[in-house]
Amino acid sequence: MAAESKLAPIRKGLLEFLVLKTVGAKSMYVPDILRRLDGTEFSTQEGTLYPLLSKLRREDLVQYEWQESDAGPPRKYYRLTDSGRAQLTALDEYWNLINRTIAEIGH
Amino acid sequence: MQRISTAVRLNRSVMQFDDAAYVRLEKYLAESASLLEGDPDPQEILGDLEQAVADQCTRRLQPNQTVVTLAELEPALLEIGSVQVPGASPSAEPSTPSAPRPLQQISEAALISGVCAGLGRYFGFNVTALRVFAVLLLLLSGGGVILVYVTLMLLMPFAPLEAGSKPLRWLPGKCRTFMEYLRVKFHLATG
Repeated sequence: MAAESKLAPIRKGLLEFLVLKTVGAKSMYVPDILRRLDGTEFSTQEGTLYPLLSKLRREDLVQYEWQESDAGPPRKYYRLTDSGRAQLTALDEYWNLINRTIAEIGH
Repeated sequence: MQRISTAVRLNRSVMQFDDAAYVRLEKYLAESASLLEGDPDPQEILGDLEQAVADQCTRRLQPNQTVVTLAELEPALLEIGSVQVPGASPSAEPSTPSAPRPLQQISEAALISGVCAGLGRYFGFNVTALRVFAVLLLLLSGGGVILVYVTLMLLMPFAPLEAGSKPLRWLPGKCRTFMEYLRVKFHLATG
């Protein structure tokens, strides 16, 4: 489908935003994040998520802490940093602006 | 005698893999490592992926099963997916969008010759604000700004015209042509 090839880059570009939003709700480890996004347009995989989280951590937008788990080794729980929270707010506002523009234009 | 399995350390877990699964895992991790070439933190990501493999395989082992085979590993790798480097796309985007831009006159964005548009781009000023400021200076300086403007017209090279852009408006087009003519005539540096 022709439209699909245009939608895929949009989803890809928004994934970072969605991950910030997901982690912004509460601190999560990667399987939680995957479950949260599963079944949405932004359903993704560990192979995508870990490199992205690593980048976000380098940009000081998220950080993680180790937490013991009942079964298996300790887990990395990711949460937003202050600058991550600020960026999420900015992205949220920008997203609302885009939405309004899209809704208004052509009317 | 027959070797049945290999003990593999996957980040914080140690698991038994049979030979076929071990070879497959090695291949997956080698592919991931090569995809992460250029990433500043490949070790961290590879460690995370190893842990993901261990967790996924553990989940898939039968209650009395201790050795991971391809039957567990293949679906695990399928679920984890191959490494996608963020920002990388087949159509390589410009790697340095904020690369320093040369100080040039921009005819396409010009009202007169493109000096303000060029200064605005170079210094990151709002072009309209810059023009208002220039007009104010013109009024206050009693015309001295015109001399500055003409000097900059002569000194600032012209940015190359964007391929496929609209034809220039009349005045910017004339300014550009006239300045290029002067530069050739008087052997001034050209853009």
